[in-house]
Amino acid sequence: MADDILYSVRNLTVDYKTRGGIVHAVDNVSLDIRRGEILGLVGESGCGKSTFGKALMRLHDGPASIPNGELWFDGQDLMKVPMKDMPAIRGADIGMVFQDPMTSLNPVQSIMEHLTETIQTHEPKVSDAAAHARAEDLVERLGIRHERLKEYPHQMSGGMRQRVMISLALALRAKLVIADEPTTSLDVIVEAKFLDLLKELQEEFNLTILLITHNIGVVAEVCDRVAVMYAAKMVEVGSVEAVFADPKHPYTQGLLRSVPNIKLDEGDLYKMGGEPPSLLHPPTGCRFHPRCPKAMDICSREEPAFESVAGEQLASCWLYQKADGKQKVTNG
Amino acid sequence: MANQIENLPNTPPEGANWESDLKKVGFVRRLLRARHWYGADWWFVLISSIAVIGFIIVAIFPGLFAPYSPDALVGPRFLAPGEEAALSVLVVPSSASYSNLKELAAGEGSTRPRIGVVQGSSTAGDLNTQAQLIDQKLKEQGNGVRFRPVIARYASLDLALQAVADGTDSAAVVQSTEFVSVKAKFTTLREADSLTGETAGSFALGTNDIGQDLLSRLIWGTRIALIIGFTSAILSLFLGVPLGLLAGFLGGAFDRILSLVMDSLYAFPGLILAIAIAAVLGPSILNIIIAISVLYIPTYYRIVRGQTLSVKQEVYIEAAQSIGARRPEILGRYILPNVIPSVFIIFSVNIADAILTGAGLSFLGLGLPPTIADWGIDLARGQRFIQTAPWMITYPGIAIVLVVLSFTLMGEGLTEIFNPKLRDR
Repeated sequence: MADDILYSVRNLTVDYKTRGGIVHAVDNVSLDIRRGEILGLVGESGCGKSTFGKALMRLHDGPASIPNGELWFDGQDLMKVPMKDMPAIRGADIGMVFQDPMTSLNPVQSIMEHLTETIQTHEPKVSDAAAHARAEDLVERLGIRHERLKEYPHQMSGGMRQRVMISLALALRAKLVIADEPTTSLDVIVEAKFLDLLKELQEEFNLTILLITHNIGVVAEVCDRVAVMYAAKMVEVGSVEAVFADPKHPYTQGLLRSVPNIKLDEGDLYKMGGEPPSLLHPPTGCRFHPRCPKAMDICSREEPAFESVAGEQLASCWLYQKADGKQKVTNG
Repeated sequence: MANQIENLPNTPPEGANWESDLKKVGFVRRLLRARHWYGADWWFVLISSIAVIGFIIVAIFPGLFAPYSPDALVGPRFLAPGEEAALSVLVVPSSASYSNLKELAAGEGSTRPRIGVVQGSSTAGDLNTQAQLIDQKLKEQGNGVRFRPVIARYASLDLALQAVADGTDSAAVVQSTEFVSVKAKFTTLREADSLTGETAGSFALGTNDIGQDLLSRLIWGTRIALIIGFTSAILSLFLGVPLGLLAGFLGGAFDRILSLVMDSLYAFPGLILAIAIAAVLGPSILNIIIAISVLYIPTYYRIVRGQTLSVKQEVYIEAAQSIGARRPEILGRYILPNVIPSVFIIFSVNIADAILTGAGLSFLGLGLPPTIADWGIDLARGQRFIQTAPWMITYPGIAIVLVVLSFTLMGEGLTEIFNPKLRDR
């Protein structure tokens, strides 16, 4: 495995048991996250991107399970780590920032308690004083005055709470931060500041960030590479420049056209036809074929492989592949 | 770097948006704003808290407040509240050098002084007993001196007193209450000490059928009532809360079985279940506490389980997992603190319930050994004399109502202030 790859996901499937049957919320997805990059993961609501993010930490419970897949994080397959050892990896190596900063902090704990608890959970020998000092240092770098550490989550604004969440991930120098729609509930000004902060942190700490979002603009602004998911499948991965300049998959093309673009004045916005498919009974073949303007015969019969279409740009589409009867799976 | 530090407004905006403001303000402001926001009154809490604190102080130091020991037979039987107890007193000539039986015995040598009593009055018996006691003591000293007064019986009080005034008798033993009415007629007589040497007791709430002071029993009964209330509420809290937490958190078979057990306990009529448990265990204060706490475990269990289920879904629990918190930690540091406020509100109402059930059990004779000063026992005892001595059942009843009312009001008042959204449910 190449050394510049921090997290390599291979053939990951996440199932949900529902009354209607088993739903593959993430279906046979492979993805590489490179060291020090910000990777954007975009897709419609319900396409499985949040489930994918949580599965990277094996943070699934109740009806969800991972029937197969490999999670190679820093040379170690997390799927082979016993569940009782996972808490040691969560937080210490992989951190997470959640969508709603209003509810993602414990309302009865002060910010200081949050931070010291995180530090001392993983490093029990650290004294209270040392943990406090680290917490103060950390939040000051994120632009929160250390006097405010003794406050409770409800006394802080959404943007500040989101910075607190980041600081929790950074408290133990996490290598990878999974940010699950971190700016969705923030207003645009706070959002812009937060994205600047992410970028700064990435440079300062050489942080790797998986940014899960449905906002194409955010991806264009901060990400190095982008991965596009549709109906539990990965449909396209590539550098932001390449994918935005020349999207290969018709779904990506549609997605980009449906975002207002200040440069190309195209009149009315493009509206993709059809509805996202039910994951309980996904379409046969390529899952996008019922909505695809370029659908061919083969699209409804066979599933295309997820492979390189132009250098490092990968897509899963028959437009760029020959039907040779067997599927090739290449590294993303 | 982003740096917008916001300060909360010092006072929450008036009216309308109180539901969202509620989370931002502290206890005191909630207390003061509650009336303004949603009509919950702080003075409910204040008055009931003062009452509760009062009851607790009385329960801790009953000796400071109670005039008598709760078990001592201190007065006549069936004395109505406020009525003065009649004592047998010695009435002697004003000029007499003696003012009690002992002095009389010493002064008269081994002669036999005449002492008058009124026929049919209880004083004759008292005189006999006391005289014998003194005689016994003198006999033990062994110098030949004895005390054997001649008891002269008169048909009326006037005659007895007249005999003393005339000098026929050395003294008379009469009821203190009766002497007061005729005192003016016999100016040459004075009321000396009572026969037993005791001063007349006052019994603000009267006495019961065996001559115990009701007020003292009531005051000592507070201790028992609160001990039962608090310990059984605490016991069921300490069992119900962890069970509810675990059931809500773990789910699965554990949750289902436990919920089934708890629901069946809950479906039972409370007092009947307590009666059954108490009857099996036998009367003792510990058993009554066990019986009552079994009764109230499901209350805590259900509330805590429900709250745990909802808190478990909160994002901050997932966030805690994402920073590496382990399950016991999530349970103890994230779920429990968010569940506990509602528990303490039930706790207060629960104490009131437990006191009531405890009193009910001892009323039925299943609770406490009958020697203990307890409201339920006093109620049961008073019930037999409800025609002749209604005060015996009235005051313990009032005490139970007051204690239960103040605990309930405090609990309800706190609920209104802390969880106003619960009101409509």
